[in-house]
Amino acid sequence: MNLVHIDELDKIEMPEGFTWRPVRRRFGIRAFGTNAYTPGSSGQVVEEHTEGQLEHEEIYLVLRGRVRFTIGGDEHELGQGQLVFVRDPSLKRGGVALTDDAAVLAIGGKPGQAHEISAWEYVFAAMPYIDAGDLDEAERVMQEGLEEKPGDPAMLYNLACLEARAGKPDAALDHLTAAADAHERFRTAAQTDEDFASIRDDPRFPS
Amino acid sequence: MSDGYEILTLDEAETGRHRGSTLIPVRHLLGFRPAGVNAWKADTGGQLIPPHEEDGGNEELYAVVRGRATFTVGDEEADAPAGTLVFLPAEVFRTAVAAEDGTIVFVVGGTVGAAFHSSGWDSLALAETYRQAGRLDEGRRAVEQLVAQYPGYWGAAYNAGRWEALAGNPDGAFEYLRRAKELNPVEAGPFFREDGDLDPLRDDPRFDELLT
Repeated sequence: MNLVHIDELDKIEMPEGFTWRPVRRRFGIRAFGTNAYTPGSSGQVVEEHTEGQLEHEEIYLVLRGRVRFTIGGDEHELGQGQLVFVRDPSLKRGGVALTDDAAVLAIGGKPGQAHEISAWEYVFAAMPYIDAGDLDEAERVMQEGLEEKPGDPAMLYNLACLEARAGKPDAALDHLTAAADAHERFRTAAQTDEDFASIRDDPRFPS
Repeated sequence: MSDGYEILTLDEAETGRHRGSTLIPVRHLLGFRPAGVNAWKADTGGQLIPPHEEDGGNEELYAVVRGRATFTVGDEEADAPAGTLVFLPAEVFRTAVAAEDGTIVFVVGGTVGAAFHSSGWDSLALAETYRQAGRLDEGRRAVEQLVAQYPGYWGAAYNAGRWEALAGNPDGAFEYLRRAKELNPVEAGPFFREDGDLDPLRDDPRFDELLT
């Protein structure tokens, strides 16, 4: 039986202070988005963010412990078996653990659209390899993401970051140019991103 | 609380009966649209997940929120304490019973490669539970809520028509049933001919228009 306890899921602590416990990726789910979160070093469980860009509706279900959610400036303390449904993608939401054992299951997607795996999942999945200095493995995860989402500018940009850091200027410039051409925000971000320090003087660098 | 979000306590939510289990109709109550979301609750020995298989392409994730469940998937049985996640692809037999009092299992489901669209079975289960309890007005409201969530879905309009017929409101019933026919005459037609809940309307000349 394809079954796992939340404590057995991979545990990837993110720089923002929460711990990502990949569920969709663990099971290979393709019909909907779902992941679990536990507290990181800062006590954050759910990253403070909006869904304005992806336009996702989200449910956060407390599976264990207690969590203080802040949704659109309102605070709510939720315990096991309570959930918050954030209908409005523009509302800022986040959650902080009130108990060490807190665990939250998130479910999300864009209404009226078949589920697409979000680019951030690959970025998160590559993080432990980047932290360990294993850029080849991080690049493999990002290539996996590009196969799933061909031409996705966020995937191209993050792959270019890794390639630039790994001393692969030609590949990095190709992927960065494609990302910048697809979306102006990546051209802007590249100008100050430290990952591109080694290629910023190249005449091919998108400006 | 704002219009942009809603909090639900699974223990305190309305419940309906469905195929021998107690359903917490989360999707219906919240109007969540990207996937099917519901929960089931039972005391020790009680059925949580009605025995069933899912159609092709449907994936389901079960999360044991509280208590303990015993899952049967195909011929395999597994103990699932709180915090356990069980993932199942389509066309696999599954059921679960509670191994502790107050067990709750949350379910997420959807179809690979397709936008989620509810058939409304959860809303109708809640409405039917109200009907069995003689609470017709609450049942009508549950079906009206389904119509509001899926105004272009023939099944929602059809069931709203059924409920208006049951409530003795023929004008309202015909309005919904005509809408169901406009939306999908092929699927609605057999139901118009065979559904006993529409019997109070059959002598009305407007019923013949539905059958043409």
